[in-house]
Amino acid sequence: MARAAELTGPEVRRLNRLSLPPALLLVTAGLFLVVFFLVPYLNMVRMSFLTKAPGAAFSHVLTVENYLRVLQDAFYWRVIARTFWLAGLTTLLTLVLGYPLAYTIARAAGPRRPLLLMLLLAPLLVGAVVRSYGWMIWLGRVGLINQALRALGWGEAELMYNTLGVLIGLVHVYLPFMVLAIASSLEQIPADVELAARSLGASPWRAFWRVTWPLSLPGVFSGAMLVFVLALSAYVIPILLGGNNVLVMPMLIVQMLLDAFHWPLGSAMAMVLFGLASLVLWLYVKAMNRALRWIPR
Amino acid sequence: MRSTSYPVGFAAAAVAVYVFLLAPIAIVVVAAFNSGEYLRFPPEGFSLRWFSKFLASEPFVRSFWFSLKLASLATLLSTVAGGMAAFFVVRHAGRSRDFLRLLLVAPLQLPAILTGIALLIFFYSVGIGTRGMTGLLIGHTVVSLPYVFLMVSSVLLRFDRTLEEAARSLGASPWVTFRRVTLPLVQGGVISGALFAFITSFDQFPISLLLVSVGNTTLPIQLFDYLRFSFDPTAAAASTVSVALSVAVVWLIHRLVGLEQVTWGGPR
Repeated sequence: MARAAELTGPEVRRLNRLSLPPALLLVTAGLFLVVFFLVPYLNMVRMSFLTKAPGAAFSHVLTVENYLRVLQDAFYWRVIARTFWLAGLTTLLTLVLGYPLAYTIARAAGPRRPLLLMLLLAPLLVGAVVRSYGWMIWLGRVGLINQALRALGWGEAELMYNTLGVLIGLVHVYLPFMVLAIASSLEQIPADVELAARSLGASPWRAFWRVTWPLSLPGVFSGAMLVFVLALSAYVIPILLGGNNVLVMPMLIVQMLLDAFHWPLGSAMAMVLFGLASLVLWLYVKAMNRALRWIPR
Repeated sequence: MRSTSYPVGFAAAAVAVYVFLLAPIAIVVVAAFNSGEYLRFPPEGFSLRWFSKFLASEPFVRSFWFSLKLASLATLLSTVAGGMAAFFVVRHAGRSRDFLRLLLVAPLQLPAILTGIALLIFFYSVGIGTRGMTGLLIGHTVVSLPYVFLMVSSVLLRFDRTLEEAARSLGASPWVTFRRVTLPLVQGGVISGALFAFITSFDQFPISLLLVSVGNTTLPIQLFDYLRFSFDPTAAAASTVSVALSVAVVWLIHRLVGLEQVTWGGPR
Protein backbone atom coordinates (compact mmCIF):
# COMPACT_ATOMS: atom_id res chain seq x y z
CA MET A 1 0.00 0.00 0.00
CA ALA A 2 2.81 2.36 0.92
CA ARG A 3 4.35 1.78 -2.47
CA ALA A 4 1.12 2.56 -4.26
CA ALA A 5 0.71 5.80 -2.39
CA GLU A 6 4.16 6.94 -3.47
CA LEU A 7 3.35 6.67 -7.15
CA THR A 8 2.79 10.14 -8.43
CA GLY A 9 1.83 11.54 -11.82
CA PRO A 10 5.12 11.11 -13.72
CA GLU A 11 5.64 7.62 -12.39
CA VAL A 12 2.20 6.54 -13.49
CA ARG A 13 2.99 7.94 -16.87
CA ARG A 14 6.20 5.96 -16.97
CA LEU A 15 4.21 2.84 -16.12
CA ASN A 16 1.94 3.55 -19.02
CA ARG A 17 4.90 3.80 -21.31
CA LEU A 18 5.80 0.20 -20.56
CA SER A 19 2.91 -0.87 -22.77
CA LEU A 20 2.89 -0.69 -26.58
CA PRO A 21 3.69 2.60 -28.29
CA PRO A 22 0.46 4.63 -28.55
CA ALA A 23 1.08 5.42 -32.22
CA LEU A 24 -0.11 1.88 -32.97
CA LEU A 25 -3.61 3.12 -32.12
CA LEU A 26 -3.53 5.37 -35.12
CA VAL A 27 -2.08 2.96 -37.66
CA THR A 28 -5.32 1.29 -38.75
CA ALA A 29 -7.44 4.40 -39.25
CA GLY A 30 -4.54 6.49 -40.53
CA LEU A 31 -3.38 4.00 -43.13
CA PHE A 32 -6.93 3.21 -44.12
CA LEU A 33 -7.83 6.83 -44.78
CA VAL A 34 -4.58 7.61 -46.56
CA VAL A 35 -4.91 4.61 -48.89
CA PHE A 36 -8.67 4.66 -49.42
CA PHE A 37 -9.45 8.36 -49.13
CA LEU A 38 -6.46 10.63 -49.75
CA VAL A 39 -4.93 8.60 -52.56
CA PRO A 40 -8.25 8.07 -54.43
CA TYR A 41 -8.91 11.81 -54.31
CA LEU A 42 -5.47 12.60 -55.70
CA ASN A 43 -5.99 9.91 -58.29
CA MET A 44 -9.26 11.56 -59.32
CA VAL A 45 -7.49 14.88 -59.78
CA ARG A 46 -4.96 13.12 -61.99
CA MET A 47 -7.74 11.37 -63.90
CA SER A 48 -9.30 14.70 -64.81
CA PHE A 49 -6.15 15.53 -66.81
CA LEU A 50 -6.02 12.23 -68.73
CA THR A 51 -7.49 11.34 -72.10
CA LYS A 52 -10.30 8.96 -72.94
CA ALA A 53 -9.03 6.07 -75.02
CA PRO A 54 -11.19 4.14 -77.44
CA GLY A 55 -12.30 0.91 -75.82
CA ALA A 56 -10.79 1.79 -72.44
CA ALA A 57 -11.71 4.19 -69.69
CA PHE A 58 -8.59 6.31 -70.09
CA SER A 59 -5.07 6.49 -71.45
CA HIS A 60 -2.06 8.14 -69.85
CA VAL A 61 -1.90 11.18 -72.08
CA LEU A 62 -2.01 14.46 -70.18
CA THR A 63 -4.40 17.14 -71.40
CA VAL A 64 -6.54 20.03 -70.23
CA GLU A 65 -9.06 19.17 -72.93
CA ASN A 66 -11.62 17.87 -70.37
CA TYR A 67 -11.67 21.13 -68.50
CA LEU A 68 -11.98 23.15 -71.70
CA ARG A 69 -14.89 20.98 -72.80
CA VAL A 70 -16.77 21.67 -69.58
CA LEU A 71 -15.87 25.35 -69.31
CA GLN A 72 -16.63 26.21 -72.94
CA ASP A 73 -20.00 24.52 -73.08
CA ALA A 74 -22.98 26.79 -72.38
CA PHE A 75 -25.06 23.72 -71.50
CA TYR A 76 -22.80 22.84 -68.58
CA TRP A 77 -22.83 26.41 -67.38
CA ARG A 78 -26.62 26.40 -67.34
CA VAL A 79 -26.66 23.18 -65.31
CA ILE A 80 -23.97 24.53 -62.96
CA ALA A 81 -25.98 27.72 -62.48
CA ARG A 82 -29.11 25.71 -61.68
CA THR A 83 -27.19 23.53 -59.23
CA PHE A 84 -25.80 26.54 -57.37
CA TRP A 85 -29.10 28.35 -57.42
CA LEU A 86 -30.95 25.34 -55.95
CA ALA A 87 -28.28 24.87 -53.29
CA GLY A 88 -28.40 28.56 -52.37
CA LEU A 89 -32.17 28.60 -52.16
CA THR A 90 -32.12 25.43 -50.07
CA THR A 91 -29.63 27.06 -47.70
CA LEU A 92 -31.81 30.13 -47.32
CA LEU A 93 -34.99 28.12 -46.74
CA THR A 94 -33.39 25.76 -44.22
CA LEU A 95 -32.18 28.83 -42.35
CA VAL A 96 -35.61 30.45 -42.25
CA LEU A 97 -37.36 27.22 -41.25
CA GLY A 98 -34.59 25.91 -39.03
CA TYR A 99 -33.98 28.93 -36.85
CA PRO A 100 -37.23 28.81 -34.82
CA LEU A 101 -36.73 25.09 -34.34
CA ALA A 102 -33.14 25.53 -33.16
CA TYR A 103 -34.25 28.28 -30.82
CA THR A 104 -36.98 26.10 -29.35
CA ILE A 105 -34.59 23.19 -28.86
CA ALA A 106 -31.88 25.37 -27.31
CA ARG A 107 -34.38 26.74 -24.80
CA ALA A 108 -36.16 23.53 -23.98
CA ALA A 109 -35.48 22.13 -20.55
CA GLY A 110 -36.27 18.92 -18.71
CA PRO A 111 -37.66 15.86 -20.44
CA ARG A 112 -38.90 17.90 -23.42
CA ARG A 113 -35.38 18.46 -24.64
CA PRO A 114 -34.37 14.86 -25.50
CA LEU A 115 -37.78 14.41 -27.09
CA LEU A 116 -37.30 17.43 -29.35
CA LEU A 117 -33.80 16.26 -30.26
CA MET A 118 -35.09 12.79 -31.00
CA LEU A 119 -37.75 14.12 -33.34
CA LEU A 120 -35.01 16.03 -35.17
CA LEU A 121 -32.41 13.27 -35.33
CA ALA A 122 -34.68 10.38 -36.31
CA PRO A 123 -35.51 12.02 -39.68
CA LEU A 124 -31.83 12.86 -40.12
CA LEU A 125 -30.98 9.17 -39.94
CA VAL A 126 -33.63 8.03 -42.39
CA GLY A 127 -32.07 7.72 -45.82
CA ALA A 128 -32.76 10.23 -48.61
CA VAL A 129 -34.42 7.55 -50.77
CA VAL A 130 -37.02 6.78 -48.13
CA ARG A 131 -37.66 10.47 -47.49
CA SER A 132 -38.06 11.20 -51.18
CA TYR A 133 -40.52 8.33 -51.37
CA GLY A 134 -42.49 9.84 -48.50
CA TRP A 135 -42.72 13.08 -50.44
CA MET A 136 -43.82 11.21 -53.55
CA ILE A 137 -46.79 9.88 -51.58
CA TRP A 138 -47.74 13.42 -50.61
CA LEU A 139 -46.91 15.29 -53.79
CA GLY A 140 -47.53 12.84 -56.63
CA ARG A 141 -50.26 13.16 -59.25
CA VAL A 142 -52.40 10.73 -57.25
CA GLY A 143 -50.78 11.87 -54.04
CA LEU A 144 -52.57 12.94 -50.91
CA ILE A 145 -52.40 16.67 -51.58
CA ASN A 146 -53.82 16.33 -55.07
CA GLN A 147 -56.54 14.00 -53.76
CA ALA A 148 -57.51 16.70 -51.30
CA LEU A 149 -57.45 19.40 -53.99
CA ARG A 150 -59.65 17.31 -56.27
CA ALA A 151 -62.05 16.55 -53.44
CA LEU A 152 -62.38 20.26 -52.85
CA GLY A 153 -62.94 20.79 -56.55
CA TRP A 154 -59.80 22.87 -56.98
CA GLY A 155 -58.33 20.74 -59.72
CA GLU A 156 -54.77 19.51 -59.63
CA ALA A 157 -51.37 20.99 -58.88
CA GLU A 158 -47.98 20.06 -60.31
CA LEU A 159 -46.05 19.52 -57.09
CA MET A 160 -43.50 17.00 -58.24
CA TYR A 161 -41.20 16.33 -61.18
CA ASN A 162 -40.34 20.01 -61.20
CA THR A 163 -38.16 22.48 -59.30
CA LEU A 164 -40.72 22.83 -56.52
CA GLY A 165 -40.62 19.13 -55.72
CA VAL A 166 -36.82 19.07 -55.73
CA LEU A 167 -36.68 22.10 -53.47
CA ILE A 168 -39.11 20.57 -50.97
CA GLY A 169 -37.04 17.41 -50.86
CA LEU A 170 -33.72 19.25 -50.51
CA VAL A 171 -34.98 21.49 -47.72
CA HIS A 172 -36.39 18.49 -45.90
CA VAL A 173 -33.23 16.44 -46.09
CA TYR A 174 -30.78 19.17 -45.07
CA LEU A 175 -32.88 21.03 -42.50
CA PRO A 176 -31.68 18.98 -39.49
CA PHE A 177 -28.05 19.90 -40.22
CA MET A 178 -28.89 23.58 -40.13
CA VAL A 179 -30.90 23.18 -36.92
CA LEU A 180 -28.08 21.34 -35.14
CA ALA A 181 -25.56 24.00 -36.15
CA ILE A 182 -27.71 26.91 -34.99
CA ALA A 183 -28.83 25.18 -31.78
CA SER A 184 -25.26 24.45 -30.71
CA SER A 185 -24.41 28.12 -31.25
CA LEU A 186 -27.49 29.33 -29.36
CA GLU A 187 -26.62 27.10 -26.42
CA GLN A 188 -23.37 28.94 -25.87
CA ILE A 189 -25.15 32.24 -25.30
CA PRO A 190 -25.54 32.90 -21.58
CA ALA A 191 -29.19 33.37 -20.63
CA ASP A 192 -28.26 36.56 -18.77
CA VAL A 193 -27.50 38.64 -21.84
CA GLU A 194 -31.01 38.40 -23.21
CA LEU A 195 -32.48 38.88 -19.75
CA ALA A 196 -30.34 41.97 -19.33
CA ALA A 197 -31.71 43.40 -22.56
CA ARG A 198 -35.23 42.60 -21.44
CA SER A 199 -34.81 44.10 -18.01
CA LEU A 200 -33.47 47.25 -19.63
CA GLY A 201 -36.78 47.55 -21.42
CA ALA A 202 -36.27 45.85 -24.78
CA SER A 203 -39.27 44.00 -26.21
CA PRO A 204 -38.80 40.25 -26.81
CA TRP A 205 -38.34 40.89 -30.54
CA ARG A 206 -35.90 43.72 -30.02
CA ALA A 207 -33.90 41.66 -27.51
CA PHE A 208 -33.81 38.86 -30.05
CA TRP A 209 -32.70 40.98 -32.99
CA ARG A 210 -30.15 43.05 -31.13
CA VAL A 211 -28.72 40.40 -28.80
CA THR A 212 -29.54 36.76 -29.55
CA TRP A 213 -29.47 36.83 -33.36
CA PRO A 214 -26.04 38.49 -33.68
CA LEU A 215 -24.57 36.14 -31.11
CA SER A 216 -25.93 33.10 -32.95
CA LEU A 217 -24.37 34.12 -36.27
CA PRO A 218 -21.39 31.71 -36.01
CA GLY A 219 -23.84 28.79 -35.97
CA VAL A 220 -25.88 30.29 -38.79
CA PHE A 221 -22.79 30.73 -40.95
CA SER A 222 -21.38 27.27 -40.36
CA GLY A 223 -24.78 25.64 -40.83
CA ALA A 224 -25.24 27.52 -44.09
CA MET A 225 -21.85 26.35 -45.32
CA LEU A 226 -22.62 22.74 -44.53
CA VAL A 227 -26.08 22.75 -46.10
CA PHE A 228 -24.80 24.52 -49.22
CA VAL A 229 -22.11 21.91 -49.87
CA LEU A 230 -24.47 19.02 -49.16
CA ALA A 231 -27.19 20.45 -51.40
CA LEU A 232 -24.71 21.00 -54.24
CA SER A 233 -23.92 17.30 -54.27
CA ALA A 234 -27.50 16.02 -53.95
CA TYR A 235 -28.31 13.26 -56.41
CA VAL A 236 -31.19 11.10 -55.20
CA ILE A 237 -33.63 13.92 -54.57
CA PRO A 238 -33.32 15.67 -57.95
CA ILE A 239 -33.83 12.32 -59.68
CA LEU A 240 -36.76 11.01 -57.65
CA LEU A 241 -38.58 14.29 -57.09
CA GLY A 242 -37.47 16.10 -60.23
CA GLY A 243 -37.90 13.26 -62.69
CA ASN A 244 -35.64 14.13 -65.56
CA ASN A 245 -36.93 17.68 -65.64
CA VAL A 246 -34.51 19.21 -63.17
CA LEU A 247 -31.00 18.52 -64.34
CA VAL A 248 -28.23 19.17 -61.81
CA MET A 249 -24.49 18.62 -62.01
CA PRO A 250 -24.22 15.46 -59.86
CA MET A 251 -26.68 13.74 -62.23
CA LEU A 252 -24.55 14.63 -65.24
CA ILE A 253 -21.36 13.58 -63.49
CA VAL A 254 -22.70 10.17 -62.49
CA GLN A 255 -24.10 9.69 -66.00
CA MET A 256 -20.75 10.53 -67.51
CA LEU A 257 -18.98 8.03 -65.27
CA LEU A 258 -21.41 5.12 -65.19
CA ASP A 259 -23.21 5.33 -68.53
CA ALA A 260 -20.80 7.09 -70.89
CA PHE A 261 -17.85 5.49 -69.08
CA HIS A 262 -15.86 8.66 -69.69
CA TRP A 263 -13.83 8.92 -66.50
CA PRO A 264 -11.53 11.80 -67.41
CA LEU A 265 -14.40 14.06 -68.41
CA GLY A 266 -16.53 12.93 -65.46
CA SER A 267 -13.66 13.69 -63.08
CA ALA A 268 -13.10 17.08 -64.68
CA MET A 269 -16.80 17.90 -64.27
CA ALA A 270 -16.61 16.97 -60.60
CA MET A 271 -13.48 19.09 -60.19
CA VAL A 272 -15.12 22.07 -61.88
CA LEU A 273 -18.24 21.83 -59.70
CA PHE A 274 -16.36 21.52 -56.45
CA GLY A 275 -13.65 23.95 -57.52
CA LEU A 276 -16.34 26.57 -58.06
CA ALA A 277 -17.90 25.57 -54.76
CA SER A 278 -14.57 26.04 -52.98
CA LEU A 279 -14.24 29.46 -54.56
CA VAL A 280 -17.69 30.47 -53.38
CA LEU A 281 -16.98 29.12 -49.89
CA TRP A 282 -13.65 30.93 -49.75
CA LEU A 283 -15.32 34.24 -50.53
CA TYR A 284 -18.04 33.35 -48.07
CA VAL A 285 -15.62 32.59 -45.25
CA LYS A 286 -13.79 35.87 -45.89
CA ALA A 287 -17.03 37.84 -45.75
CA MET A 288 -18.12 35.88 -42.69
CA ASN A 289 -14.91 36.61 -40.80
CA ARG A 290 -15.36 40.29 -41.53
CA ALA A 291 -18.98 40.15 -40.36
CA LEU A 292 -18.00 38.39 -37.14
CA ARG A 293 -14.95 40.48 -36.30
CA TRP A 294 -16.70 42.01 -33.32
CA ILE A 295 -17.22 38.65 -31.61
CA PRO A 296 -14.30 37.90 -29.27
CA ARG A 297 -13.04 34.45 -30.15
CA MET B 1 -30.02 29.25 -22.01
CA ARG B 2 -33.42 29.83 -20.45
CA SER B 3 -35.60 32.81 -20.41
CA THR B 4 -39.22 33.49 -19.82
CA SER B 5 -39.86 35.53 -22.92
CA TYR B 6 -39.98 34.12 -26.38
CA PRO B 7 -40.27 36.07 -29.60
CA VAL B 8 -43.88 35.69 -30.65
CA GLY B 9 -44.41 33.06 -33.32
CA PHE B 10 -41.26 31.02 -32.75
CA ALA B 11 -43.03 28.20 -30.95
CA ALA B 12 -45.78 27.99 -33.57
CA ALA B 13 -43.18 28.03 -36.35
CA ALA B 14 -41.24 25.28 -34.61
CA VAL B 15 -44.33 23.06 -34.43
CA ALA B 16 -45.05 23.65 -38.11
CA VAL B 17 -41.48 22.76 -39.06
CA TYR B 18 -41.66 19.56 -37.01
CA VAL B 19 -44.80 18.61 -38.91
CA PHE B 20 -42.96 19.26 -42.18
CA LEU B 21 -40.00 17.20 -40.96
CA LEU B 22 -42.05 14.21 -39.86
CA ALA B 23 -44.82 14.20 -42.49
CA PRO B 24 -43.05 12.26 -45.26
CA ILE B 25 -41.63 9.74 -42.82
CA ALA B 26 -44.89 9.12 -41.03
CA ILE B 27 -46.73 8.71 -44.32
CA VAL B 28 -44.35 5.98 -45.48
CA VAL B 29 -45.21 3.96 -42.39
CA VAL B 30 -48.93 4.59 -42.85
CA ALA B 31 -48.72 3.53 -46.51
CA ALA B 32 -46.93 0.33 -45.53
CA PHE B 33 -49.72 -0.76 -43.20
CA ASN B 34 -52.52 0.43 -45.47
CA SER B 35 -54.28 -2.28 -47.44
CA GLY B 36 -54.87 -0.29 -50.65
CA GLU B 37 -52.75 -0.09 -53.79
CA TYR B 38 -52.06 3.53 -53.07
CA LEU B 39 -52.77 5.73 -50.12
CA ARG B 40 -56.19 7.32 -50.08
CA PHE B 41 -57.70 9.40 -47.43
CA PRO B 42 -59.15 8.07 -45.21
CA PRO B 43 -56.94 4.92 -45.27
CA GLU B 44 -58.74 1.81 -46.41
CA GLY B 45 -57.74 -0.48 -43.60
CA PHE B 46 -54.91 -2.14 -41.78
CA SER B 47 -53.03 -4.88 -43.55
CA LEU B 48 -49.66 -6.59 -43.56
CA ARG B 49 -49.91 -7.61 -47.21
CA TRP B 50 -47.15 -5.20 -48.32
CA PHE B 51 -44.80 -6.64 -45.75
CA SER B 52 -45.51 -10.15 -46.95
CA LYS B 53 -44.99 -8.94 -50.52
CA PHE B 54 -41.70 -7.41 -49.41
CA LEU B 55 -40.67 -10.68 -47.79
CA ALA B 56 -41.69 -12.61 -50.89
CA SER B 57 -39.73 -10.34 -53.21
CA GLU B 58 -36.40 -11.94 -53.86
CA PRO B 59 -34.48 -8.74 -54.86
CA PHE B 60 -35.70 -6.88 -51.78
CA VAL B 61 -34.91 -9.67 -49.35
CA ARG B 62 -31.52 -10.32 -50.89
CA SER B 63 -30.56 -6.65 -50.83
CA PHE B 64 -31.82 -6.37 -47.26
CA TRP B 65 -29.56 -9.18 -46.06
CA PHE B 66 -26.72 -7.83 -48.13
CA SER B 67 -27.10 -4.38 -46.56
CA LEU B 68 -27.27 -5.91 -43.11
CA LYS B 69 -24.10 -7.90 -43.66
CA LEU B 70 -22.30 -4.95 -45.24
CA ALA B 71 -23.34 -2.54 -42.50
CA SER B 72 -22.28 -4.98 -39.76
CA LEU B 73 -18.83 -5.45 -41.27
CA ALA B 74 -18.38 -1.73 -41.93
CA THR B 75 -19.43 -1.03 -38.35
CA LEU B 76 -16.92 -3.50 -36.98
CA LEU B 77 -14.06 -2.07 -39.02
CA SER B 78 -14.88 1.59 -38.44
CA THR B 79 -15.52 1.09 -34.72
CA VAL B 80 -12.19 -0.59 -34.11
CA ALA B 81 -10.20 1.81 -36.30
CA GLY B 82 -12.10 4.97 -35.38
CA GLY B 83 -12.21 4.18 -31.67
CA MET B 84 -8.46 3.56 -31.47
CA ALA B 85 -7.78 6.71 -33.47
CA ALA B 86 -9.90 8.71 -31.04
CA PHE B 87 -7.82 7.39 -28.13
CA PHE B 88 -4.65 8.41 -29.91
CA VAL B 89 -5.79 11.87 -30.97
CA VAL B 90 -7.30 12.81 -27.61
CA ARG B 91 -4.58 11.35 -25.39
CA HIS B 92 -1.32 11.11 -27.26
CA ALA B 93 -1.27 13.39 -30.28
CA GLY B 94 0.93 16.44 -29.83
CA ARG B 95 1.34 19.04 -32.50
CA SER B 96 -0.20 16.75 -35.10
CA ARG B 97 -3.57 16.79 -33.34
CA ASP B 98 -5.26 19.35 -35.57
CA PHE B 99 -4.05 17.72 -38.74
CA LEU B 100 -5.17 14.28 -37.58
CA ARG B 101 -8.60 15.54 -36.60
CA LEU B 102 -8.92 17.10 -40.03
CA LEU B 103 -7.95 13.87 -41.79
CA LEU B 104 -10.23 11.71 -39.66
CA VAL B 105 -13.36 13.81 -40.18
CA ALA B 106 -12.58 14.76 -43.79
CA PRO B 107 -14.87 12.05 -45.24
CA LEU B 108 -17.77 13.86 -43.54
CA GLN B 109 -16.81 17.25 -44.93
CA LEU B 110 -16.52 16.20 -48.54
CA PRO B 111 -19.60 15.17 -50.53
CA ALA B 112 -20.06 11.40 -50.38
CA ILE B 113 -20.75 11.28 -54.09
CA LEU B 114 -17.30 12.72 -54.76
CA THR B 115 -15.75 10.12 -52.47
CA GLY B 116 -17.70 7.45 -54.34
CA ILE B 117 -16.38 8.66 -57.69
CA ALA B 118 -12.82 8.81 -56.39
CA LEU B 119 -13.10 5.28 -55.01
CA LEU B 120 -14.68 3.88 -58.18
CA ILE B 121 -11.83 5.20 -60.30
CA PHE B 122 -9.25 4.14 -57.74
CA PHE B 123 -10.56 0.57 -57.43
CA TYR B 124 -10.39 0.07 -61.16
CA SER B 125 -6.96 1.67 -61.37
CA VAL B 126 -5.50 -0.74 -58.81
CA GLY B 127 -7.45 -3.76 -60.02
CA ILE B 128 -9.77 -4.31 -57.06
CA GLY B 129 -12.75 -3.49 -59.26
CA THR B 130 -16.25 -3.38 -57.87
CA ARG B 131 -17.17 -7.03 -58.06
CA GLY B 132 -17.94 -8.56 -54.71
CA MET B 133 -18.26 -6.73 -51.45
CA THR B 134 -14.72 -5.46 -50.92
CA GLY B 135 -15.12 -2.09 -52.64
CA LEU B 136 -18.43 -1.35 -50.95
CA LEU B 137 -17.07 -2.36 -47.57
CA ILE B 138 -14.09 -0.02 -47.93
CA GLY B 139 -16.28 2.85 -49.11
CA HIS B 140 -18.77 2.43 -46.30
CA THR B 141 -16.00 2.18 -43.72
CA VAL B 142 -14.45 5.42 -44.98
CA VAL B 143 -17.67 7.37 -44.41
CA SER B 144 -18.70 5.75 -41.11
CA LEU B 145 -15.32 5.95 -39.43
CA PRO B 146 -15.56 9.71 -38.71
CA TYR B 147 -18.77 9.20 -36.73
CA VAL B 148 -17.13 6.70 -34.41
CA PHE B 149 -14.10 8.95 -34.09
CA LEU B 150 -16.22 11.99 -33.17
CA MET B 151 -18.43 10.08 -30.75
CA VAL B 152 -15.57 8.38 -28.89
CA SER B 153 -13.52 11.60 -28.87
CA SER B 154 -16.31 13.55 -27.27
CA VAL B 155 -16.63 10.95 -24.51
CA LEU B 156 -12.87 10.82 -24.00
CA LEU B 157 -12.59 14.58 -23.70
CA ARG B 158 -14.84 14.48 -20.65
CA PHE B 159 -13.03 11.48 -19.19
CA ASP B 160 -11.48 11.87 -15.76
CA ARG B 161 -8.03 10.35 -16.10
CA THR B 162 -7.34 10.27 -12.39
CA LEU B 163 -9.61 7.22 -12.28
CA GLU B 164 -7.14 5.32 -14.42
CA GLU B 165 -4.22 6.58 -12.41
CA ALA B 166 -5.93 5.40 -9.25
CA ALA B 167 -6.38 1.92 -10.67
CA ARG B 168 -2.77 1.80 -11.83
CA SER B 169 -1.43 3.02 -8.53
CA LEU B 170 -3.43 0.33 -6.75
CA GLY B 171 -1.51 -2.21 -8.77
CA ALA B 172 -3.74 -2.94 -11.74
CA SER B 173 -1.92 -3.81 -14.97
CA PRO B 174 -2.50 -1.54 -18.00
CA TRP B 175 -4.72 -4.17 -19.53
CA VAL B 176 -6.82 -4.67 -16.39
CA THR B 177 -7.09 -0.90 -16.01
CA PHE B 178 -8.30 -0.59 -19.56
CA ARG B 179 -10.80 -3.40 -19.24
CA ARG B 180 -12.14 -2.60 -15.78
CA VAL B 181 -11.95 1.20 -15.71
CA THR B 182 -11.53 2.78 -19.12
CA LEU B 183 -13.77 0.56 -21.20
CA PRO B 184 -16.84 0.68 -18.92
CA LEU B 185 -16.58 4.47 -18.88
CA VAL B 186 -16.26 4.95 -22.63
CA GLN B 187 -18.39 2.08 -23.85
CA GLY B 188 -21.46 4.29 -24.19
CA GLY B 189 -19.58 6.47 -26.65
CA VAL B 190 -18.16 3.49 -28.49
CA ILE B 191 -21.56 1.82 -28.84
CA SER B 192 -23.20 5.09 -29.94
CA GLY B 193 -20.48 5.61 -32.50
CA ALA B 194 -20.98 2.06 -33.72
CA LEU B 195 -24.73 2.59 -33.99
CA PHE B 196 -24.19 5.72 -36.04
CA ALA B 197 -21.71 3.92 -38.23
CA PHE B 198 -24.21 1.14 -38.73
CA ILE B 199 -27.06 3.39 -39.78
CA THR B 200 -24.75 5.48 -41.98
CA SER B 201 -23.74 2.36 -43.82
CA PHE B 202 -27.22 0.84 -43.91
CA ASP B 203 -28.73 4.00 -45.43
CA GLN B 204 -25.69 4.92 -47.52
CA PHE B 205 -26.65 5.94 -51.01
CA PRO B 206 -24.09 7.90 -53.07
CA ILE B 207 -21.13 5.63 -52.35
CA SER B 208 -23.19 2.50 -52.97
CA LEU B 209 -24.58 3.90 -56.20
CA LEU B 210 -21.10 4.08 -57.66
CA LEU B 211 -19.73 0.87 -56.18
CA VAL B 212 -22.54 -1.69 -56.40
CA SER B 213 -22.30 -4.49 -58.90
CA VAL B 214 -24.74 -7.07 -60.23
CA GLY B 215 -25.80 -9.39 -57.44
CA ASN B 216 -24.40 -7.08 -54.77
CA THR B 217 -27.12 -4.50 -54.37
CA THR B 218 -27.88 -2.72 -51.12
CA LEU B 219 -31.41 -2.04 -49.91
CA PRO B 220 -31.37 1.74 -50.61
CA ILE B 221 -30.16 1.14 -54.16
CA GLN B 222 -32.76 -1.57 -54.70
CA LEU B 223 -35.43 0.77 -53.34
CA PHE B 224 -34.21 3.58 -55.59
CA ASP B 225 -34.33 1.39 -58.70
CA TYR B 226 -37.77 0.18 -57.73
CA LEU B 227 -39.14 3.69 -57.17
CA ARG B 228 -38.01 4.87 -60.57
CA PHE B 229 -40.55 2.61 -62.20
CA SER B 230 -43.23 1.85 -59.68
CA PHE B 231 -44.95 3.35 -56.71
CA ASP B 232 -46.53 0.38 -55.03
CA PRO B 233 -46.42 0.05 -51.25
CA THR B 234 -43.93 -2.82 -51.26
CA ALA B 235 -41.45 0.06 -51.27
CA ALA B 236 -43.25 1.48 -48.24
CA ALA B 237 -42.76 -1.78 -46.37
CA ALA B 238 -39.06 -1.75 -47.25
CA SER B 239 -38.81 1.89 -46.17
CA THR B 240 -40.54 1.16 -42.89
CA VAL B 241 -37.76 -1.25 -42.00
CA SER B 242 -35.29 1.57 -42.49
CA VAL B 243 -37.39 4.04 -40.49
CA ALA B 244 -37.68 1.56 -37.63
CA LEU B 245 -33.91 1.11 -37.56
CA SER B 246 -33.32 4.88 -37.41
CA VAL B 247 -35.78 5.33 -34.58
CA ALA B 248 -34.18 2.46 -32.68
CA VAL B 249 -30.70 3.95 -33.14
CA VAL B 250 -31.74 7.39 -31.93
CA TRP B 251 -33.47 5.87 -28.93
CA LEU B 252 -30.44 3.77 -28.02
CA ILE B 253 -28.05 6.71 -28.32
CA HIS B 254 -30.36 8.74 -26.12
CA ARG B 255 -30.19 6.01 -23.48
CA LEU B 256 -26.45 5.45 -23.80
CA VAL B 257 -24.81 8.87 -23.93
CA GLY B 258 -27.56 11.42 -24.45
CA LEU B 259 -28.38 13.12 -27.71
CA GLU B 260 -26.44 16.24 -26.71
CA GLN B 261 -23.32 14.46 -27.95
CA VAL B 262 -24.63 14.59 -31.49
CA THR B 263 -23.39 17.97 -32.59
CA TRP B 264 -21.36 17.36 -35.70
CA GLY B 265 -23.78 19.29 -37.79
CA GLY B 266 -22.59 22.31 -35.86
CA PRO B 267 -19.41 24.37 -35.67
CA ARG B 268 -16.49 22.04 -35.58
